[in-house]
Amino acid sequence: MSFVWMVPSIWIVIGVAVQGLADDRSEIAWTIEQVAASVKERREPSVSFEEATYSSLLTKPLITRGILRFTPPSRLEKDVREPYRERYVIDGDFVTIESERRNVTKTVSLDEYPGLRWFVDTFRAVLDGDTTKLTREYDAALEGTKRRWVLRVRPRDRAGGAPVDFIELSGSEGRINAITVRTADGDRSVMTLSPGSGP
Amino acid sequence: MSARRLVPAFWLIFMLWGIWYGAEKLSIRNDLSDLLPEGATETQRILLSQARKGLSGRLILLAVEGASPAELAGLSRSLAESLRADERVGMVANGAEVRSKKELALLKEFRYLLSPTVTADTFSESALRAALERRLDDLRSPLGAVVKESIPADPTGETWNLLRSWSVGNRPSTYGGVWMSPDRARALLLVEARGSGFDVDEQESLHRAIRASFGEAVKKIGSAAQLRMSGPGVFAVEAQRAIEAEAWRLSAVATGLVVALLFVSYRSLTLVLLTLIPISTAIVAGVIAVNQWFGFVHGITLGFGVILLGVVDDYPIHLFSHLTGRESPSSTMQAIWPTMRLGMLTTAIGFSSLLLAGYPALAQLGLLALVGLVTGALVTRWVVPACMGARLAPRDAHVGLWWRGDLSLTGRAPAVVALILAAAVLVWSDTPMWEQDIGRLSPLPEEKKQFDQQLRKEMGAPDVRDLLVIEEATTEDLLQKAETVAVKLEYLRTEGVLAGYDIISRYIPSRRLQVERQRALPDRQTLERNLKAALEGLPFAPGLFGPFVEAVEAARRDEPIGPEVFAGTMLGVKLESLLFQQGERWMAVVPLTGVEDRASLAGYVERWGDGSVKYLDLKEESNRIMTAYRDRTVQLLGWGVAAIAIVLGIGLRSAVLVARVLTPILCAIVVVAAVLRGIGESLSFFHVATFLLVVGLGLDYALFLNRPECTGEERLRTGFGLLVCSGTTIAVFGALAFSKTPALHAIGMTAACGSLCCLAFSAVTARKEEHVA
Repeated sequence: MSFVWMVPSIWIVIGVAVQGLADDRSEIAWTIEQVAASVKERREPSVSFEEATYSSLLTKPLITRGILRFTPPSRLEKDVREPYRERYVIDGDFVTIESERRNVTKTVSLDEYPGLRWFVDTFRAVLDGDTTKLTREYDAALEGTKRRWVLRVRPRDRAGGAPVDFIELSGSEGRINAITVRTADGDRSVMTLSPGSGP
Repeated sequence: MSARRLVPAFWLIFMLWGIWYGAEKLSIRNDLSDLLPEGATETQRILLSQARKGLSGRLILLAVEGASPAELAGLSRSLAESLRADERVGMVANGAEVRSKKELALLKEFRYLLSPTVTADTFSESALRAALERRLDDLRSPLGAVVKESIPADPTGETWNLLRSWSVGNRPSTYGGVWMSPDRARALLLVEARGSGFDVDEQESLHRAIRASFGEAVKKIGSAAQLRMSGPGVFAVEAQRAIEAEAWRLSAVATGLVVALLFVSYRSLTLVLLTLIPISTAIVAGVIAVNQWFGFVHGITLGFGVILLGVVDDYPIHLFSHLTGRESPSSTMQAIWPTMRLGMLTTAIGFSSLLLAGYPALAQLGLLALVGLVTGALVTRWVVPACMGARLAPRDAHVGLWWRGDLSLTGRAPAVVALILAAAVLVWSDTPMWEQDIGRLSPLPEEKKQFDQQLRKEMGAPDVRDLLVIEEATTEDLLQKAETVAVKLEYLRTEGVLAGYDIISRYIPSRRLQVERQRALPDRQTLERNLKAALEGLPFAPGLFGPFVEAVEAARRDEPIGPEVFAGTMLGVKLESLLFQQGERWMAVVPLTGVEDRASLAGYVERWGDGSVKYLDLKEESNRIMTAYRDRTVQLLGWGVAAIAIVLGIGLRSAVLVARVLTPILCAIVVVAAVLRGIGESLSFFHVATFLLVVGLGLDYALFLNRPECTGEERLRTGFGLLVCSGTTIAVFGALAFSKTPALHAIGMTAACGSLCCLAFSAVTARKEEHVA
């Protein structure tokens, strides 16, 4: 084989490689891995939320406001400030509930509330960038662009009787803007997140 | 002669038949409640029927420990889940119970009749408004998904209120949704067995299943956690197994000692084997008799009975001791038979008094001993000589060497001293004469009892000690009474007299109260009007509460319900234990927890001035039952001795001789009682029952020592025989005295001391040789 033939071959190889790199940049293909990674990177210790509950029982949504906190790897806190004060601390497999209006403080196991467990696991997987878990146990579908993405997660195993139909997280790059939870009967709650720990 | 072959042949046939019978017909039961008496008073009957089938007797307390709290919680869940699948288990509670669909449906259907929060005000505009606002808050909480479904039909939350009212009282602390001790060192579970807590075999198989389930759960997650069980059923199994194991182990030791003693005494293996003939026949005959009469033999009767029948060995020993080799065994037997027969008859009288004690456990034992004794004597009389060679005799043992002194002279002074000392001990000892605490008779170690108490405290489980019993003619009267009692108990609870109670009226209101609640329900128009006003401005969907209006309307027309509605549910099981029929009347049992001051509680209940409500301290009551039986046994012992005296009078035809025979026995009993007290033992039922055995032994010794005998050699032989008899008895019962089981120890100690004292006193009072007829 002549040496002359080799020169173009090398160029072709290099060209293909460069082309590949360019494609990656231009299309802004946005994968679940990347969402998870950037969410993890941009994750803030606490965000304010406003949650609207839509139900077939109601003519208009009910609103609650408060703060969400996440302490890796597994502590999640929902601190409701309005219209009443209630706090749910999920740590490991246990939920501690402090409720002023019902006058209770108790610790229960997530095992008792399969629906809640499912929600917590999913949320943790996303926040913690655990894509292996997300793709193994859920049908996770990502739509949109880096600037405006929607990740919809459905439990793969419906036999478990999870009352949740799907959880939808929408965001921009590493920031989650909203979390929508839809239950099997069509009711849903939409939680809008904004940075900072609010008022 | 053909009789020499015929008799052993008959005996062999009988034994073969006995073995066949044992294999085919014998029914050995291990249900301890079979041994419980019927009870003399109404209170005792309630108590005993509760002990037999009541809830408290069926509860098994489980503790899972030795792992992290989260791991314990997981194990508690998986264990509860697998146990719920076992059909021998009525209920498993670990703090995370799920109520059955049927139960929840019933609750929902009858919520307006059952819920304690239903009053006329529940359906007013303002109360409805407050309830609706609470439901809105529920909807926006994470619990929304759980409660959403029930809101349209039950906006006031009566089903939840009802469930909550059932779980009041001393709830155990929880962690991870399951019961856990406050220090989180152990997860707690409560298992209710369907069968009696005293059916040892059934309980044992259930316990094994529980351990297996736990083993699997532990294996699955690779945990190092351990399971501990407690409760009446667990104790029953442990107690019976402990007694059985000790009875068999100690009888093996005793048998070894007896065989060795016999061999040393007679130095003939043939004779040792021959002694087995009467005793084995006695056991077989006794067991068959008990099985025929009672329909079953209790495991404990068998254990004790075999020990008791050890005394049958005395009969062949008498025979062998009198063998000289000069005359045939049959004629020797004939010579001593009148004495042996009288001894056998009088001992039989003693044991038959056990039959009359009215205590099933003792009746079985009495019959076994009675039949065994008579059989043993008859077999010694007819079978043993027939099995012996004509000139068979023990190699002349150290007869003379063993029995030289004449205790009737030298023993007098020591005997009198012993009696005086005994009297002094009996009068001045600090040890109480009678054992009052039935708990002390339990073979369980103190540590286990304390663990049980601790678990009960942590679990808020009734400690099977304090109860209120309410009695009325009908369930309705009873429920109404229970409602008034519940109010009083609630007051006592707030006063701290007790920590909690479980009463039937909490679960099912009387018809009267249900009708009252029904009357409080508004009619359709009123309800719709109030609801409409209450809904003003709230974001509920229009027409959402149609099911609520319908449900209230339906409840207005419902027939009031009774406890029978819940049959077949977990709640039903509970209701049956709290309310049941006893004869013609209805009884409600109210288990109390955390009673600190029993006297003051009894005082409160007394001041209520209601004859149909009684406070029972089960422990006190069981002690009373035991005491009653002990007193009755003491009484029967007295009558038995009187009857024995009469039979002796007829047999001996001499008042002096009767006195000679009876005096040493009575002296022996006094000394034995003193010895027991001297070493700090209070007399229990078991001691008293063993005195009967001592009387029997003593009679035998005294009768033989007072036999009209011709030669000095005969006397020596009698003395030697009695020494061997007493030696074997002391070996058998001495071994028992080392038992850790209080009952076995009591029997062993009493009989061993008794045998020694009887022999010594009989020797002292025996007639001297010049009395020879």
